Amino acid sequence: MIIIGERINGMFTDIKNAISNEDPAAVQEWAKKQKEGGARYLDINVGPGSANPKEAMKFLIEATQEVSDLPLCLDSTNYDVIEEGLKVCKNPAMINSVPAEPDKMDRVFSLAKEFDAEVIGLAKNQEGIPKDAESRMALAMELVATADAYGISADMLYIDPLVLPCNVAQDHGPEVFETLRQIKLVSDPPPKTVVGLSNISQGGIKNRELVNRTFAVMAMANGLDAAIADADDEELIAAVATARIILNMDIYCDSYIDVFKQQ
Amino acid sequence: MGLTGLEIYKHLPKTNCKECGSPTCLAFAMALAGGKASLDQCPYVSEEAKEALDSAAAPPIKLVKIGTGDNVVEIGDETELFRHDKKFFHPTGIAVQIKDTDDVAKEAEKFDQLEFERVGLELVTDMVAVINDSGDGSKFKEAVETVASKTNKAMVLVSEDVDAMSQALEAVADRNPLVYAATEDNYEKMTELAKSKECPLGVKGKDLNHLAELSQKITDLGYKELVLDSGARETSQVIADMTQMRRQAIKKKFRPFGFPTIAFTSKESPQEEILQAGAYVSKYASIVSLKASEKQQLLPLVSWRLNLFTDPQKPIQVEAGLYAVGEVNENSPVYVTTNFSLTYFIVQGEVENSRIPSYILCIDTGGISVLTAYADNKFDGEIIAKKMKENDLESKVNHKKIVIPGGVAVLKGSLEDESGWEVMVGPREAAGIPKFAKENFA
Amino acid sequence: MSVEILKEKYRSKVGEVVLGATSEQGGTRTNTVTLGGESTLPFLHFEGEVPNKPVVAMEVWDKRPDTWNQLFENYYGDVYDDPAEWAKKCVNEYGAEVITLRLQSADPETTDASPEECAENVKKVLQAVGVPLIVLGCGNNEKDNQVMPKVGEAAEGENLLLGVAEQENYKAITSACMAHGHNIIAQSPIDINICKQLNILILEMSQALANKIVIDPTVAALGYGIEYSYSIMERARLGALQGDKMLAMPTIGNIGMEVWKTKEANISEEEQPGWGELEERGLLWEASTAMVYLQSGINLLVMRHPRAVEITKSHIEDLMKDNSY
Repeated sequence: MIIIGERINGMFTDIKNAISNEDPAAVQEWAKKQKEGGARYLDINVGPGSANPKEAMKFLIEATQEVSDLPLCLDSTNYDVIEEGLKVCKNPAMINSVPAEPDKMDRVFSLAKEFDAEVIGLAKNQEGIPKDAESRMALAMELVATADAYGISADMLYIDPLVLPCNVAQDHGPEVFETLRQIKLVSDPPPKTVVGLSNISQGGIKNRELVNRTFAVMAMANGLDAAIADADDEELIAAVATARIILNMDIYCDSYIDVFKQQ
Repeated sequence: MGLTGLEIYKHLPKTNCKECGSPTCLAFAMALAGGKASLDQCPYVSEEAKEALDSAAAPPIKLVKIGTGDNVVEIGDETELFRHDKKFFHPTGIAVQIKDTDDVAKEAEKFDQLEFERVGLELVTDMVAVINDSGDGSKFKEAVETVASKTNKAMVLVSEDVDAMSQALEAVADRNPLVYAATEDNYEKMTELAKSKECPLGVKGKDLNHLAELSQKITDLGYKELVLDSGARETSQVIADMTQMRRQAIKKKFRPFGFPTIAFTSKESPQEEILQAGAYVSKYASIVSLKASEKQQLLPLVSWRLNLFTDPQKPIQVEAGLYAVGEVNENSPVYVTTNFSLTYFIVQGEVENSRIPSYILCIDTGGISVLTAYADNKFDGEIIAKKMKENDLESKVNHKKIVIPGGVAVLKGSLEDESGWEVMVGPREAAGIPKFAKENFA
Repeated sequence: MSVEILKEKYRSKVGEVVLGATSEQGGTRTNTVTLGGESTLPFLHFEGEVPNKPVVAMEVWDKRPDTWNQLFENYYGDVYDDPAEWAKKCVNEYGAEVITLRLQSADPETTDASPEECAENVKKVLQAVGVPLIVLGCGNNEKDNQVMPKVGEAAEGENLLLGVAEQENYKAITSACMAHGHNIIAQSPIDINICKQLNILILEMSQALANKIVIDPTVAALGYGIEYSYSIMERARLGALQGDKMLAMPTIGNIGMEVWKTKEANISEEEQPGWGELEERGLLWEASTAMVYLQSGINLLVMRHPRAVEITKSHIEDLMKDNSY
């Protein structure tokens, strides 16, 4: 599993201030810190209530690219903002995200094709988030089939089965794991999978970090490829590195945790 | 691996009629991919789609048999690109060439004697390729008959002349030879011939694209006992083509390449031929045909084939027994270890490094290491003592001392009781043997 | 029908290591040799770069090798006592692209030559030939740890490849390479985990060695567990291509040393009539062992028999031909 660092997000005060003061320092510090922690992509989100989200997105991307060559994951529900962002990305980026709704898929897959971008597809539609794995799978199939029609190979897609907090929706957990397993049957090459890791522990859950990393390794065992997560959480990174060894994804050596962070 | 949802979906009517019980064709496709539904549930699926889906569910590479009886060579039916992912299943057939212009009887006799004994195993060149070098049909038939009378090994008949092949098959069709080859020019007749005699058919293309086309045409004629040759003869191109064919068949289920393959060497010097053939054995050829015919040339090739096709999950063994390292005499030390090959070779290397000629008594533990064998009761005082007797150690040395691995020092008492010899406890790691030997035997 | 060629997209590639230094680069070599750089599996030119061909080095000892098969007398008998002449013969007559000098004279069990004498032997060979040089110790750790710093110092600027560092004994040789700008052989006992860890240990001591490590994964001879080391090398190479930087170094194999210990390369036809003539069998055993490791991605082969070297080099030329579609 790879980590998409979640920290460059306008909902955090330091990033919000960086945007309003046009001061890249905090952004760049997090860009570097997350890479050292083990992140492979950096999520970029202007946060809620930005006065000029397009400019904010460009500012965050440019600030980040000055200090990091990691690929970026442009996080917005406003596709005009994403498009502006894609124009200034130096490397192929990832679009975060699109639900299985026809008009939105059309817009996003066109953008993805134009900018050679990867896409996070959400297992939900107008009717919301389904509970059982079968319905999640049907939405995943729709995303893959639509992408395929746009000439986008399934391995450019990251399907997010959508995770809900484990105190309010405990019964979703097994369904999410089942979805992660089944997604590999959708196509060859199969789509990849991603989750927003901290969603599992939203809303006043105790031991948040323990819950996050336990979920992470369980999801990995069920085939999870990526997580948007806190790359500054050392215990999480160590657990992920260890799970990669146990799943035979990396070759063991005594210093495997350091190797995982450096790669 | 079965078909994916997307592949199945492409063959479905996409009407979302719900008659199968699933809400959409997409959902039905996923249910099929997950093995939770069957295709019959869709009332509107076309015959064509059914056939496509059926054939896609067949193994990625067909199993083809050449020859008869004990000498049948089975090739194809591979599922991996790397042996460490599981294993390679069907060892490459090594086909030594005899031309119909050679002294066929003599060559065939020589060929039939090509059998090697190494590490207690019989290794053979399992196929003979008879080449219609003369261009003459009756001469080819005669050569094929002669070879058939001298050896029972599987045969490859090499001629692109349908008449010559037809004559040869009159004589040896019952030996189930590989009929090589159908080409652009002769494929209809050659296919008809092979099909009527129920013999496997080699298909020779001009390149990968052409081969795919030809393979498709022949399967369209209803024959599927095929062995493929892209026509490439340069080492590097053959490796690329073989790699593509294997990948296309396994990763893409590309049907035209879903058959075993054959490669021919092109080097004139037999020594260079062996390297070329060895590279083809490594990279996916199901049969390699070559001219080299001397024992010392073929031994390394058949040995590599044996090694490559071993099961990586199973321990590699050496033959149990008493081995002499260096010029041993009646004063030489005796070490004992197990027949797990890595254990044995490391011990042997270190004994060599000690520069004191010694015996190594290698015990059959089913190829497991010292500590595992001890834990499994395959390496104890009684067993070792028995093997010491069987190998007549008493008459080999006059000192009655034996060195056991340091890791099983606990065996000292029981082995002394069982054998009556003095048991010396050696180092825990083989690397300590030279020092141990110097202190005790120098 | 047009077949859509399947090409793997790998994330990373094998690092490059340069051996030797010309006079402009501060050494005295007439040419340098670059190892590694592949962005695909062996010889799949159709999907990636194989910028540097695998290279054949020939093995020279700095003392008469009593343990070598008698048949080598015919090739090296006249130069056994002079490593400089021996090296020259390998380069001029037998086409060695690199010389591996094994400082066997240092062995405390036999001649016990001093570190200074060993360094002198290295200098003599450097003067005799223009190709890059690999220098190996005698195998006694304590002694090699005294010899290698002297050798490193005496040949400063020549960008040698010094060996070997092992997990339990890497510091002295790492320091010698660091201090005097040489490359280092990191040897692991047919164990991919130790292989990786040793690279980390060496780099923890010196980041300067980042593009100067050559992996020796230990090669078994054909018939003696070769498939085991073959698969380890294949796995390591796949790991490197998929982004594991701690396995992304070029590799070296002591083919000659391993092969010429085997029964198959030493037992006469009289003793084993079923195996055919000895010399051809032995040299093919050596060249076939090389062939196998070429298919698992080896970059540097150390060999002994001149004819085995010749056909291996010719085989490498064939493998290096473009096969793109």
